[in-house]
Amino acid sequence: MWFFVIGDLWIFACYFACYMRDRARNPELFQQGQELLSQGIGALNTVILLTSSLFVALCVQATRAKDIAVASRFLALGSACGAAFMLIKAGEWYLKIHAGFPESTDPFFIYYFMLTGLHMVHVALGLVILALLWRELRGAKEPRAQFAETCATYWHMVDSLWIAIFALVYLVR
Amino acid sequence: MTAYLRGRLTLVWMLLVLVTFVSWWLGARGESGRLGVNLPLTAGVVAIALVKTRLVFWHFMEVRTAPSWLRWNCDGWLAFLALMLFALYRYSL
Repeated sequence: MWFFVIGDLWIFACYFACYMRDRARNPELFQQGQELLSQGIGALNTVILLTSSLFVALCVQATRAKDIAVASRFLALGSACGAAFMLIKAGEWYLKIHAGFPESTDPFFIYYFMLTGLHMVHVALGLVILALLWRELRGAKEPRAQFAETCATYWHMVDSLWIAIFALVYLVR
Repeated sequence: MTAYLRGRLTLVWMLLVLVTFVSWWLGARGESGRLGVNLPLTAGVVAIALVKTRLVFWHFMEVRTAPSWLRWNCDGWLAFLALMLFALYRYSL
């Protein structure tokens, strides 16, 4: 999993480089687009994903301690936070799509939909991976702590990428 | 559950949430309606994001106890990101 995670981090670093390069060429146009985003929603989603990461990390600790009932509860809480993130993001997208931004050729909104869309795909895949961990915790006689660590590593990477996206897309001026 | 919640990870999470609010507060200061680059705000926001990412790597992903090649890879990625972001941002000044 770590090789995949490091590869994905570098791929996103290239996307961030392209975004910053194009932003540097036309900072005022990008800033006009940024002014139309809600920093509050971005911050709320950041706190939700950080909370999700905490629950998933605690799930790993409980799995190692063979405290499977507690691990399952932490995993359920972590997954619920992940689902809440997706719902809020979908709501934000709905408002932007309703306002006609996807049809615009504004480079900021092209990057906004591309970066947040790619991240959403990662969140969705992360929720599938957490579902596999749930099956391991509830179904296996002796749930494997290493499997929990592997699933958690992916989920924390999703959180790390959002931290960068929140800063670059919502906050940088 | 409360025994797990009393540990180091919860303290790290509290710090992460706190600095998220600090970066939001910084970002809100840039929403003045005036367009134009803001180097101190951007430097602050990016530095906070890098610190947050390292905290997630170090504590949630347990890189602090990982083999050195993994620690170097994670720190190398963060260093590259910091240099690249600031170098590209400089072009807009």
